[in-house]
Amino acid sequence: MKKTKQNIVNFSLSHKKYVKKLRQDKFLVIFFRIFILVAFLGLWELLTYTGALDPFFFSSPSRIVAQLGELIKAGTLFHHTWVTLYETLIGFVIATVLGYLIAVLLWWNEKVRKIFEPYIVVLNSLPKIALGPVIILWVGAGTNAIILMCVLICIVITTMTMLSSFIACDEGKILLLKSMHANKFQILWKLVLPSSMPDFISVLKINVGMAWVGSIMGEYLTSKAGLGYLIVYGGQIFKIDLVMAATFVLCILAFLMYFLVSLLERKYKK
Amino acid sequence: MNNILEFKNVKYFYQTKNDEIYALDNINFSVKEQEFVSLVGPSGCGKTTILSLTAGLLKPSSGQVILDGSDKIDTKKIGYMFQRDMLFDWRTVWKNITLGLELQKPKNLDEKLTFAEELLKKYNLDGFKNKKPRSLSGGMRQRVALIRTLVMEPKLLLLDEPFSALDFQTRLALCDDVYEIIKSEKKTALLVTHDISEAISLSDKIEVLTSRPAKIKDELNLSLSGATPLKKREDKAFSGYFDLIWRELTNEENEAKHS
Repeated sequence: MKKTKQNIVNFSLSHKKYVKKLRQDKFLVIFFRIFILVAFLGLWELLTYTGALDPFFFSSPSRIVAQLGELIKAGTLFHHTWVTLYETLIGFVIATVLGYLIAVLLWWNEKVRKIFEPYIVVLNSLPKIALGPVIILWVGAGTNAIILMCVLICIVITTMTMLSSFIACDEGKILLLKSMHANKFQILWKLVLPSSMPDFISVLKINVGMAWVGSIMGEYLTSKAGLGYLIVYGGQIFKIDLVMAATFVLCILAFLMYFLVSLLERKYKK
Repeated sequence: MNNILEFKNVKYFYQTKNDEIYALDNINFSVKEQEFVSLVGPSGCGKTTILSLTAGLLKPSSGQVILDGSDKIDTKKIGYMFQRDMLFDWRTVWKNITLGLELQKPKNLDEKLTFAEELLKKYNLDGFKNKKPRSLSGGMRQRVALIRTLVMEPKLLLLDEPFSALDFQTRLALCDDVYEIIKSEKKTALLVTHDISEAISLSDKIEVLTSRPAKIKDELNLSLSGATPLKKREDKAFSGYFDLIWRELTNEENEAKHS
């Protein structure tokens, strides 16, 4: 930032105009982002307030805020949020690490890779929610089942993306390392893994979203607490305010997690 | 001078699912110490196969490849320089040129590191030591790639069209640089190229290859005056050599078309 400011002083009028235009464009983008949010919330509030929309079915921003206040007062909001966050994070980490390791294994051994190829393709296209009942039978209803659901949803895409990234590694660079007498482990460690870092970051970004899908889906199946539980429960007792309040918290958490990953990305790109 | 590299009646077949491709037919040539030898030939004739055989990445189907007196090829004696610089973007220039040391962990590591430092200084790259390759120009990147191979102190440098990805101006300048570096480090080099004038301006000896299966069609011992490749291009004999090789290669391509 400092650099651009100095440059403006030194450069010509047209450059000043150009920089001004850049700033205006940036301002416009941010302005409309906020505008859309405010307009959406305002319109929602207005329509429910005047009775054009029935707040019983559609809730309203003010009712969501009131509901959140109630949950905070009752002291349950933090508990439910923590339960879901915990399931999501554990599922996310297990799926990412395990999926990554499986991809490395499949890269290492071409025969194993060929043998498992059709299984991975089928697993990928299988809707994991179909395994719900089986999962509950295997690991019991509760947190384990939810985490397993979360892992199942994230792991296949992790393995597939990382494997194709490993395989796409520059043949020329592999040849270079071979000409330097590198063994297979060194090729993996010095070349294949670092060069797949950008893809790994995209996998993290995908998994951040998928892990939430997994844990909420898991909570739909079987849960005693969590944001997914609140949503299902709220739906069953026709308390749309509760459903919306839980969804709102989910939005914030998902955004925060995505933000953390993009911080990691920025750090890596430096 | 001793022979660093010798090909004796080397034949090579590539195996594919439906075919066996006859790539090299009785290749015989040698490279002496501190000699600069080029291989020119029609594209796809198996020039790179010869380099791969030399580097021990492939084994001859029959015949012998003798490197530094032994037919068991020691990869450590070879430095390979490619068409693309193959620098690792996530490593700094310094980390790139010491890559080979990192892999092989030689006993005299400290000496080699000092040597690497010296090379960087000598060839005006020490200011970029801690920069990532993406901030370097194409020519500089190739110089870094060359230093990366020189650090390993190979007996023989294999150059696989190392200039062909560059624009003409950079190409001529880098050609001079590389020539100077190779001569002042007293290295032996084997170059593969399809650029005839490049081969003439750099080499002491040129092997002209036929199309596949490749045979040695002609061997030219060159003596051009001029201290650098660019100066050599001004020698009167230059165009004579060019015409000769050009004719040999065009005949070759015509024959390939008719057969």
